[in-house]
Amino acid sequence: MTNLTPVLSGLGKRLGVMALTMLTVSLLVFLVLEVNVDDVAVKVLGQFSTPDQRHAWLLQNGYFDPLPIRYARWLWGFVTGNWGLSTYYHADVRELILPRLAATGVLMGATLAVTVPVALGLGILAGMRQGSSVDRGVSVLAIITTSIPEFASAVFLSAIFVFGLGWLPGVSTLSGGVTIKELTLPVTVLTLSSAGYIARMTRASMVEAMASPYVRTARLKGASTARIVFAHALRNALGAPVTVIMLQIPWLLSGVIVVEVFFAYPGFGTLLYQASVNSDIYLIEACAMIGVVAVVVSQLISDLINTWLNPRLVRAIQKAALQDPTASVEATAG
Amino acid sequence: MKHFRRPTVLIGGGIVGFWVLVALFAPYLAPFDPLKSLTPLAPPGTPAPGGGTFWLGADLLGRDILSRVIYGARPVVALSTLATLTAYAVGVSAGLLAGYYGRWIDTGLSFLANVILSFPVLVLYIVVIVALGPSPLNVVIAVTFASAPAVFRIVRTIAADLKQRDFIAAAVIQGESAWRILFIEILPNATGPLTVDFCLRLGYTTIVIGALGFLGLGLPPPAPDWGGMVNEGRALAFAFPHLVIFPCLAISSLVLGLSLLADGLNEARDAQSRGS
Amino acid sequence: MSSQPPIPEPPILSVKSLSVALPVGADRPFAIHDISLDLRPAEILCIVGESGSGKSILSSTLMGALPRGLSIHSGGLTLGDIDLTAQSEGAWRTIRGRRVAMIPQEPMAALNPSAKVGRQIEEVFAIHGDLTPKARRAEALRLIQEMHLPDPERIAASYPHQLSGGQCQRICIAMALALKPDVLIADEPTTALDVTSQAQVLKLICELRDVHRQAVLFITHDLGVVADIADRIAVMEKGSLVEVGTADEILKRPTQPYTKALIAAVPSFEPKLRAPVPNTKPGHCLEVEGLAKTYGRTRALKPANLTVERATTLAVVGESGSGKSTLARLLVRLIEPSDGAALVNGHDLARLRGTALRQARRRIQMIFQDPFGSLNPRRSVGATVARAAELAGCTRQEAQARAKALLERVGLSATAYARRPAAFSGGQRQRVGIARALAMRPDVLIADESVSALDVSVQAQVLNLLRELQLELGLTIVFITHDLRVAAQISDRVAVMRSGEIVELADTASVILNPQHAYTRALIAAAPGRGAI
Repeated sequence: MTNLTPVLSGLGKRLGVMALTMLTVSLLVFLVLEVNVDDVAVKVLGQFSTPDQRHAWLLQNGYFDPLPIRYARWLWGFVTGNWGLSTYYHADVRELILPRLAATGVLMGATLAVTVPVALGLGILAGMRQGSSVDRGVSVLAIITTSIPEFASAVFLSAIFVFGLGWLPGVSTLSGGVTIKELTLPVTVLTLSSAGYIARMTRASMVEAMASPYVRTARLKGASTARIVFAHALRNALGAPVTVIMLQIPWLLSGVIVVEVFFAYPGFGTLLYQASVNSDIYLIEACAMIGVVAVVVSQLISDLINTWLNPRLVRAIQKAALQDPTASVEATAG
Repeated sequence: MKHFRRPTVLIGGGIVGFWVLVALFAPYLAPFDPLKSLTPLAPPGTPAPGGGTFWLGADLLGRDILSRVIYGARPVVALSTLATLTAYAVGVSAGLLAGYYGRWIDTGLSFLANVILSFPVLVLYIVVIVALGPSPLNVVIAVTFASAPAVFRIVRTIAADLKQRDFIAAAVIQGESAWRILFIEILPNATGPLTVDFCLRLGYTTIVIGALGFLGLGLPPPAPDWGGMVNEGRALAFAFPHLVIFPCLAISSLVLGLSLLADGLNEARDAQSRGS
Repeated sequence: MSSQPPIPEPPILSVKSLSVALPVGADRPFAIHDISLDLRPAEILCIVGESGSGKSILSSTLMGALPRGLSIHSGGLTLGDIDLTAQSEGAWRTIRGRRVAMIPQEPMAALNPSAKVGRQIEEVFAIHGDLTPKARRAEALRLIQEMHLPDPERIAASYPHQLSGGQCQRICIAMALALKPDVLIADEPTTALDVTSQAQVLKLICELRDVHRQAVLFITHDLGVVADIADRIAVMEKGSLVEVGTADEILKRPTQPYTKALIAAVPSFEPKLRAPVPNTKPGHCLEVEGLAKTYGRTRALKPANLTVERATTLAVVGESGSGKSTLARLLVRLIEPSDGAALVNGHDLARLRGTALRQARRRIQMIFQDPFGSLNPRRSVGATVARAAELAGCTRQEAQARAKALLERVGLSATAYARRPAAFSGGQRQRVGIARALAMRPDVLIADESVSALDVSVQAQVLNLLRELQLELGLTIVFITHDLRVAAQISDRVAVMRSGEIVELADTASVILNPQHAYTRALIAAAPGRGAI
């Protein structure tokens, strides 16, 4: 790349939009959960608190101040790492979240490490041999696996491997640290729910690339199928799957909640679940914000990878950033 | 039309049709009252006191599982459909406006859509349901809120594409009103991909509603709810697998039917545009 | 250029009674049927045909790259001493690129968008030869230089989207030429290029024949190009060979009726004398004063001034980027002007709003270039035309009647009303577009490249229809085109545009026969086949 300045300015614009998005998200979360002060008081003090107790508590914690001031205070708290106290666990929210986040990170990382190669591999294979039995097989497998909700596949797999064969533990509480045995079922369930979609998108992208004029040119130059796939089709076909993989991260974060609860895995998901069951407001707020940060960062990474893969997109991003700051690569890539 | 008689469409449509009928005619199909406690933890095939058989067994409170599965189809079908329809109403209108007018409307609406799409779906639901309380209406609201931006994006892209075509330019030059251009010129040309997306989205919504039930955030007990049934029976699933297997099969088959239908419709559309 | 004496060498490519079968259920049994022709070294053989003639299938067969479902049914195909009908896919891979090479129709799409063009040229050597990487690079640079591209190093390091269409095509030619193949197949290589780029590429191809003794099979629908470069010509129609012979024989003394009709349909460069339309109120129908459009920092249209007399035709000629499309869109107020005014019988559309605008819009209507995109695929053509009439103030009944009458007037049958666009050919769809435009009874008709996407015989019919309608209705027409021949035949005056401004504006005869501006002269010089057809 010869001139980096336009790329960097495009990146700068993108980061600005990210910040604005996070700000709007924070506003939404705040409004949804804290706008009704009575509700907040009930949730924090419990159902059996008296109106007087609630009133006193609200006054003491500044809940009768005007809304913008409360929001600013709340936001400042987040930015400085003061995330409040969990009403259920009676502990600092930040100290609760961080180790759980690490555990979920391990789970997500392991899932991606398994899902991405499997899904990309199957998708590329199916796309190369469009219409063959491999292709149809991959498509059917993909449809079936993505149709089974996470808790259902967890049930089915447990029935076979935990109750039936007894090979794997029924819960993954990580009481002895992280082990492969305890990770197996959760990772498998998550892989089953997301690999199918990625494989199909990859297949579609490969089919399109293999049918394109430049692949025809390569064929007419006498190139073998291997050369066509690896030197021509793949580089141009991988843009869409990379976007799709990154877009699966929000989906995975949802699935992770169900899987963690099912297998009692001590991660971010079970924490959020407990918080929702107990109406633990401050914990929920923090978890929501973190969830959004994860998604937004993954979108940024997806943009960067796409830029590296396709030089034409560099120009498109610059152009898009100049005209419309919310245009992301997925939109321009169609 | 002949393209639509493919096996995927027929099988998928058949499965979906089956569950819709089950949901509609639940009172006539269920052998027992889904809320009545009889013989707790009866295995499948046990005869019930006072006549009849627990074909699929009874749950830990003694309620017939077959009846609960049949009745459980109702909230799933009703809520998924209602939520997806409202998401479509919002998403299509917003998407058409953003795609056609572009500029500030597009920037603003797209930004809003991206903000909502930044939430992992279940996190969004949890936030909304904790704030509003669990009830069928709030489930619909939460699902609509989460699905509308995705529909918006799809419609926006289609509208922006179609806007470039000459027949839209012709309509503008003839002085056609904007709303007629949006709904009579543009929208009918988007029905193909939108129908496919509708089926898929019904499937996703069904999965999420099931997950909400599983997490105990869906319908309050004792209402029969497939996800909720799995949640209730989980602890005893080792000894009594019938508690959880049947609701899982039910929800998986419904979503499978929707996925097959979507896939089949998509292929049929491709074949139609290629063949004729 | 076709005055070379026929070289009595043995043919390098020999096609004998070749037939390629279509899959069951197609509209005819054979894609190409009983084709026989020869190609000799240092010769350009042009295959001419309109859409559906089978010329592209022929080129695919010669590369062993038939689409799925098609197969060689019978006949012989030999390249030198190799029987091309009996080669395995593996054998074909050694033949393609080395003995037979193809120059594609859309050069930018034909190059890998994420690889530098230098590497793509080197790939030919990587596949077929055993040169070292350093030698490959040197060869690639040498080839780029041979294509008369300046600064080969920079070009080799560029991606396709950083080059122009003409430059991409020269890269494709370099790739095809790399291993000095026996036969070069050029499948409509200049159709997607501007007329000046086209002239350069044609010159390059002639150089390949003259200097490198290349045998070239040149497939095209453009008889002007054929007249310029062909040594021999083969005419195809609906999969069969109509006639084959030397350029002189075919162009000057055609024997078959199809060939004669094809040549007659090509608009001549001789400006046609046009009689004025009777009963016209004298005066300007369209007046453009200082009309301009700027996008950010680009001036798409610099302030333009022109007038068009009532019931006459003005042709606006230019290459892509000249601003002619911008001008057309401004006239119908599809885009807003940055400055200036366009008055249709005294009314400036840009200054009006609401009901006044809607009424004024009826005075000026447009017909478009792409027959496939200009009609709503979900509506019957009758409904489309009737809606236009309704918007012009008719009641539902009146609109339907007017639509039926118009569809018949433009040459479609009465049953056309209820059918959807997919049921019609390109030429028929353009007629529907004309009916739709006329439904509003406009004073001015803007035709934006309306015949560019049509076969030449269909083009002639549509142009005749427009002339008839002009005489009947007293229409004022502004015809946007890149084709000087069309302009010469159908217009009273011509405006030549370049880079957003009008560089020459005069009556047709003056512009064509006695151009004043250097650019106009260059355009006319670059137009293929002048003087020969």
